[in-house]
Amino acid sequence: MKFNEAAVFKWVVIVGIAGALIVAVTLLTRPLVGSLLLLACVIAGCAYAYRWWRAPRRH
Amino acid sequence: MESASVAVGHAHADHHHGPPEANQSSRIDRQTLGILLFIVSEVMLFGAFFASYFFLRVVVDPPNWPPEPFELPKAVAGMNTAILVSSSFTVHYALESIRRGNRTGLKLGLVATWLLGATFLFIQINEYVHLGFSARDLSFGSIFYCLTGLHGAHVFVGLCLLSFATIRAFRGHFGPKAEDHLGVEVPGIYWHFVDIMWIIVYVTVYIL
Repeated sequence: MKFNEAAVFKWVVIVGIAGALIVAVTLLTRPLVGSLLLLACVIAGCAYAYRWWRAPRRH
Repeated sequence: MESASVAVGHAHADHHHGPPEANQSSRIDRQTLGILLFIVSEVMLFGAFFASYFFLRVVVDPPNWPPEPFELPKAVAGMNTAILVSSSFTVHYALESIRRGNRTGLKLGLVATWLLGATFLFIQINEYVHLGFSARDLSFGSIFYCLTGLHGAHVFVGLCLLSFATIRAFRGHFGPKAEDHLGVEVPGIYWHFVDIMWIIVYVTVYIL
């Protein structure tokens, strides 16, 4: 785990792309589909965050 | 026995003065750990508001969401989202600049970030004025103003932190070494957090 501004900025980009995807899917289909995609993104994000947090520090 | 312990005490006093040194993690410095713990507490605060939002949405269960008389300006809020997200890029540019020793880039990035944040807040207040409903109008009005207002308060705090960082940058306070620009790094982390929270607020409140 490396917690600094650059790492958090990477998360801004990830959440931004996921948000844009959810907005596009919701506007093209129905809010239910967007909600399911949001749920999938939250689960995937939590799993990725856990792996990122547990990763050994690189020198 | 007593004289021996006094002698040991004196020997110890010769080597160490004052309170013991604070233990420090080798993985993270104090300032970054502080902002990390603060952000964790903020995530819990936002989590409570989101829980209220989804609880109301499920319990009220209207045929349409937002309920009938309410309408949210999705396009304006979307543009506002783009403005706030772009401010994350400018604060990142400011930090990358100071890491390379480019003070002009640091100042430019910080001023641009502050202006974009202030624009976001101005548009948000303008939206409140023209929405046509208040926090007293049904549960939807209450939770809408609570969530967006909570985020707006965080943007205001972020702008205050960025103001301090910008003033210090113009006074020539920061340097390329990691410990010399923590005064920009910590507000930068906070600003990114505010951006991430807004993306989540926008998607859940305005779009879904």
